[in-house]
Amino acid sequence: MIQALANWILSFDILAGLGNPIAWGLSLFVVSALIFAFVAVNAIVLVYFERKVSAFMQVRLGPMRVGKFGSLQTVADALKLLQKEDIIPRSADKILFLIGPWVILVASVVTFAAIPFSDTLLAANMNIGLFYVVSISSIVVLGIVMAGWASNNKWSLYGAMRSAAQIISYEIPVGITLIAVVAVVGSLNLQVIVQAQGGVGNLFHWIPLPLPNWFIFHNPFLFLAAFIYLIGATAEINRTPFDIPESESELVAGFMTEYSGLRWALFFLSEYANATLVAFLVSIVFLGGWQSPFADYAGAQIGFLVITLVAVMWTLYVKAKAQRLSIYPVGISLVITLAAWLFPGFAVWLASPGLFWMLMKVASIIFLLMWFRWTFPRLRVDQLMYVSWKVILPISLVNLMGVAVWMWLTGEIQF
Amino acid sequence: MSYFSNITNAVGTLIAGMKVTMGYFVRPREHVTLQYPDEVWPIPTRNIGVGELDAYNTIRSKLTVNIDDCIGCKACERACPVNCIHIDTYKAGPDDDLGITSNGTKKKLLTASFIIDMSECMFCDLCTPPCPEKCITMTPDYQFISNDNLKTDVTPEQRWRDKNLLIYQFSKVSETERQRLKVEAETAARAKAEMMAVKKAAAAKAAEEKAAAAKVAEEKAARAAAEAVAVSKTIQENTKNNTSETLAETNTETVLVSEHGTSAEETTPATDTVTDIPLESISSAVTPEAPSELTADTEVVESPVDHEASTTKESDNG
Repeated sequence: MIQALANWILSFDILAGLGNPIAWGLSLFVVSALIFAFVAVNAIVLVYFERKVSAFMQVRLGPMRVGKFGSLQTVADALKLLQKEDIIPRSADKILFLIGPWVILVASVVTFAAIPFSDTLLAANMNIGLFYVVSISSIVVLGIVMAGWASNNKWSLYGAMRSAAQIISYEIPVGITLIAVVAVVGSLNLQVIVQAQGGVGNLFHWIPLPLPNWFIFHNPFLFLAAFIYLIGATAEINRTPFDIPESESELVAGFMTEYSGLRWALFFLSEYANATLVAFLVSIVFLGGWQSPFADYAGAQIGFLVITLVAVMWTLYVKAKAQRLSIYPVGISLVITLAAWLFPGFAVWLASPGLFWMLMKVASIIFLLMWFRWTFPRLRVDQLMYVSWKVILPISLVNLMGVAVWMWLTGEIQF
Repeated sequence: MSYFSNITNAVGTLIAGMKVTMGYFVRPREHVTLQYPDEVWPIPTRNIGVGELDAYNTIRSKLTVNIDDCIGCKACERACPVNCIHIDTYKAGPDDDLGITSNGTKKKLLTASFIIDMSECMFCDLCTPPCPEKCITMTPDYQFISNDNLKTDVTPEQRWRDKNLLIYQFSKVSETERQRLKVEAETAARAKAEMMAVKKAAAAKAAEEKAAAAKVAEEKAARAAAEAVAVSKTIQENTKNNTSETLAETNTETVLVSEHGTSAEETTPATDTVTDIPLESISSAVTPEAPSELTADTEVVESPVDHEASTTKESDNG
């Protein structure tokens, strides 16, 4: 994408004299700014989304006063945070305290360089993209330990130590589940991984249920691996139910106790950047990335018809149990189905791969993470370690073996 | 085997929990949030008040006064246990017609100032029953944000923060008119006092003259009596026993009186020193600011007064 932008800049007669290195640097700057803008706007949108989701799940309304339905609340919060005083404790390690949040932010923003938003929207097409993302995102723990140590506060230090232990523990099952996918594709390039999931086929290759060729439907072991990855990744980004590094009831705010103003906002920014990154990785590795779930426009029409029928039946079932239900899911799916049947162009657009499907999948995964957060109680420290080392790690190892055996039995790879 | 049953149990309970939260998520219209300034909780309709009027059949909250019906009798001011009602009345002149109340009573007093300090009111409802015209009533307005009187450009937030904004002036008499009435009353009172002083001085002079005349007369009488005693002494030499008895009686009486006097002197100064001194110091700190705040109802911030009072208290304790 950077080279393409540079070529586009050089295609103008006036700018052709810049030469390739300058144009390349300029486009590099533009792409970096775009990625950072995406991360910043994403955090503002997700905080609002999170507050609304949590409110609805707790029979509340959430922010309602600033803007229509409180939609400008997070913008106001961000502006407030920018104006607040940046307090540095007197006995803090000043240099580490100041650069800790920036290390975390840089580590979580830089990973987006390798994320394919669509078949063309990709900052750097690396052949080790998956490895790059996993390794760079674990630098976050370094910033957390820096922040926790430099604060010279017992809550901060406890939070940082817990976070380090937790991230290091959960890196292993996460890495092993990703290796299972790499074993199927045979490449670490994220773009190749996405391209391998196009089209529609049978569930697990032999159950006659037409589903997209995503890796989550590739074989039963990868189906399990997707959920193991989701659990491990939730722990890696310190989200509830694995939020012991910043558990409010025990450690005031964990490693960010002593931070205020802009630096505190950076922690928030990187937290949501990490959540988005996890959602992107799940979508790319298990849910087909920017691939459409439908093979062609007829598939889109029939698929949305099936979705509408399922929504209607579910609503009727809930109504039969004398429970109240919003009619929005049925209404939205009905509208899309009618549009797909009436306008074939819309159905073609639905069946074509692109940014829309990528963002849809990412939004769904982020909603799932929020659903986790506002449902599950927090794990204790020892329970956290138990889940990591005694449950998820053995299952992921067995899973890796299972994937290998499956590939050998179905003849997809030969030894 | 408990290892696997543990895992399946965990997954099952997690899914059950997720079902519950999703069940609430898909019904966002069923919420418990009250959007307070836009929506308010319904006021209870049950009868809490003690009166016979319909206005009593609500919660006891903000006081209101129908000033057209007020006859300035100050019954409510006397009934108030916390002294949050302050009324100033002036006698109407012979030519002034102040009108009649809705009950038909002729108003004889001009209510120049009718202040209710709602920041001190304790909502006891004791001021409403004594009112002969039923013009002071409790309203169900518990929010204190209506801009109906005193200050029309006050926002609810300002009213919550500033205590002075809770002081309500109900009288329709303008501020300049009130000042004029006050000055008039003061000058009248001064003239009256001067007249009284002149009268008093004259009376005192007359009394003095009278007393001097009486003294002269007394001295004359005493002298005459002494002469008479001197004359009679020689006559009543023989009856000595009687006079000695009467002298003894008078002596015992004087001793008793002196005993009472000393005991009273011992007890009363002690109580004075215990109670009066701190009270005086506090009231001296409060009084210079308080009257201006209440009568002129300007934006006097009274926090320094409180501060001074608290500091004096602390110093007394220390």
